[in-house]
Amino acid sequence: MTIFFANQFAIGKNSRGIRARPLCLRSPVLKFIFRKLVQGILLVVIVSAAVFLLLSAAGGDALSGLRENPQVSAETVERLRVYYALDRPVGERYLRWAADAARGDLGESINFRTPVASMVGSRLLETLKLSAVTLLLALGVSLLFSFLIIRTRSRALDRLAEAFVLVFASTPVIVTSLVVLATVAAASTFAAAGSIIFSAVALAPPFIGLFLAQTKRGFEEAMRENFVQLARSKGLSETAVIIRHAARAAINPLITLLGLSIGALVSGSVIVETVLGRQGIGSLTVAAVRSRDVPLVMGIVLIVSIAVWLGNTIGEFLQMANDRRLFDAERN
Amino acid sequence: MPNAIDTDIAASGSFERPRPAALIGIVVISLFAIVAIFADLIAPYDHASQQRTQPSAPVSRIRFIDDSGSFRPRPFFYPQRLADPLFLVYEEDRTRPIPLSLFVRGDRYPFLGLFETDLHLFGSVGTEVRFNLLGTDALGRDRFSRLVQGIRFSLIVAPLGVLLAGLLGVVIGTISGYAARWLDAGLMGVADAMLSLPTLVLILAARAAFPLELPPLSAGMLLVMIFAVVGWAEMARLTRGLVRTLQTREYVLAAHSIGLSPARILFRHILPNAAGPIMTQATLMLPAFLLAEVSLSFLGVGLQEPIPSLGNMLAAAGDISQLSRQPFLLLSPAIAIFLFVMAVRLAARGSER
Repeated sequence: MTIFFANQFAIGKNSRGIRARPLCLRSPVLKFIFRKLVQGILLVVIVSAAVFLLLSAAGGDALSGLRENPQVSAETVERLRVYYALDRPVGERYLRWAADAARGDLGESINFRTPVASMVGSRLLETLKLSAVTLLLALGVSLLFSFLIIRTRSRALDRLAEAFVLVFASTPVIVTSLVVLATVAAASTFAAAGSIIFSAVALAPPFIGLFLAQTKRGFEEAMRENFVQLARSKGLSETAVIIRHAARAAINPLITLLGLSIGALVSGSVIVETVLGRQGIGSLTVAAVRSRDVPLVMGIVLIVSIAVWLGNTIGEFLQMANDRRLFDAERN
Repeated sequence: MPNAIDTDIAASGSFERPRPAALIGIVVISLFAIVAIFADLIAPYDHASQQRTQPSAPVSRIRFIDDSGSFRPRPFFYPQRLADPLFLVYEEDRTRPIPLSLFVRGDRYPFLGLFETDLHLFGSVGTEVRFNLLGTDALGRDRFSRLVQGIRFSLIVAPLGVLLAGLLGVVIGTISGYAARWLDAGLMGVADAMLSLPTLVLILAARAAFPLELPPLSAGMLLVMIFAVVGWAEMARLTRGLVRTLQTREYVLAAHSIGLSPARILFRHILPNAAGPIMTQATLMLPAFLLAEVSLSFLGVGLQEPIPSLGNMLAAAGDISQLSRQPFLLLSPAIAIFLFVMAVRLAARGSER
């Protein structure tokens, strides 16, 4: 993140120190999926309940603004309260919401008067596109850079990478997106401001810092491994050694990191999309909070936490698929 | 990193002289702290007082050589006059050089809350014309004064949030470190979930529960509370790892065997030894909380005008025509944020080794 809490990613699993056992995929995989499923359901229930409780406990709702409007009678407000079931107790409202949500019905946004599910879905798609481009950009830069460092064994490049990590990791998305906006404004090509490339450039720096640090360390460790020595002694070219042999070990921790990045990407998109005027889940969150649109906020929190859980799970699963020893760790 | 901590923490306990990079970081953080503490003294003008005849004025340049080419030992500047109100073009009034001075009299303010004074670090002498080191904003308020005060307000909210979140994290982590397996797994599961969720979306969702417009004090308190509720997880994970490891150390076992009470062991033997990594973690949390405040204020749901914060000052940069005209002035809060975050990283990196 470090967009937000800096060491979000520090939960990576160490692949070392796990005894090699005969491969027995079936049960660990199922166990893994089952564990993640339970975790995901618990996560979604707890997060949605907490946000729902908070939103209703604080008092005031989307109708507060209406109440101060002299043109709207008290009866109308009361009718709307009943219509949106705001007169019912919290527990009942949450259960009703959860039951509807389970059937895919997230209710209707009070402010936009459209179904929450379709709105959040289409906006999330936009943000996922942006996230994909951002990740590709960050991955491309950091893999290429690490490859060059390892291939050329240049001290200067290594130092440069260290400086890049420090600067990029300490550049908040709010700073980069405003700098991108200023650049675009100076070139007076406003139409391009919201383009996916510019937004990805604004969102990428913290991820470049994070990934570059990880890939650099990964390659350095991998190059010391015995299988790299073996590949060299077979007479492979150094480039082939790095790409075919070292890379697979080096990128393994990166896979989980990618999965864990979803949360940070969504957080970052709040700022980038607001500054650069893109229509995504981030700018929708801001709009929902500004209008205190409870169904919309709930829908966003629900969908986003599911997306984050899915990202983490897929990341973890892919890492295990790449390094099957990790499945064995699952059994213990 | 929990794994690294599980294996060895005692090694990090030894005292080392900070490396140069860490020293730079510490110096910059101290400078920010000084600016925050003495903000009223450093800022030449009140952060809310407007000069409606001077909207979006450019920087008042400090000069030593006047138009006749002679050198003046005392720095001076020329007042700015709004030549074109539509396009906000200013020109300098070359006929009136105004001397600058250190320690001038100006707006009254309570110094450190102790006594009232009107002394300011620098400013123009004997005139109503203002010296705008970073120009003025759209309402004609001195941007430098606002930046200094903004650093103060942002730097009050962030450390308070870190303190509260850190405390919550240490308490939960300690409980988890001592607890039975199911409770431990449950607490750490929640912590992991909190870590993977998009923090800003959670903070915004929690913020939506409260009225949008709040007086500065309650807005600040609210932000601190929300940050604590959302940001405790990392600290809890770290503390739990430390507590679990330290429980197996010889001196803790020895303390057990001579019959010391668990509370005494916790407070005299375990927590003091965990203090180093916990402090580093707290330092690393600082930028995250600062950025949370900046983001919320930027989006208009954090600290609100006329109280300046780094975030709501940045909101002015959303005005593209102004931004293209004076990019560096409008982005000056962003530069401050960048410097602060980098300084914290340098300082924390030095103390990790």
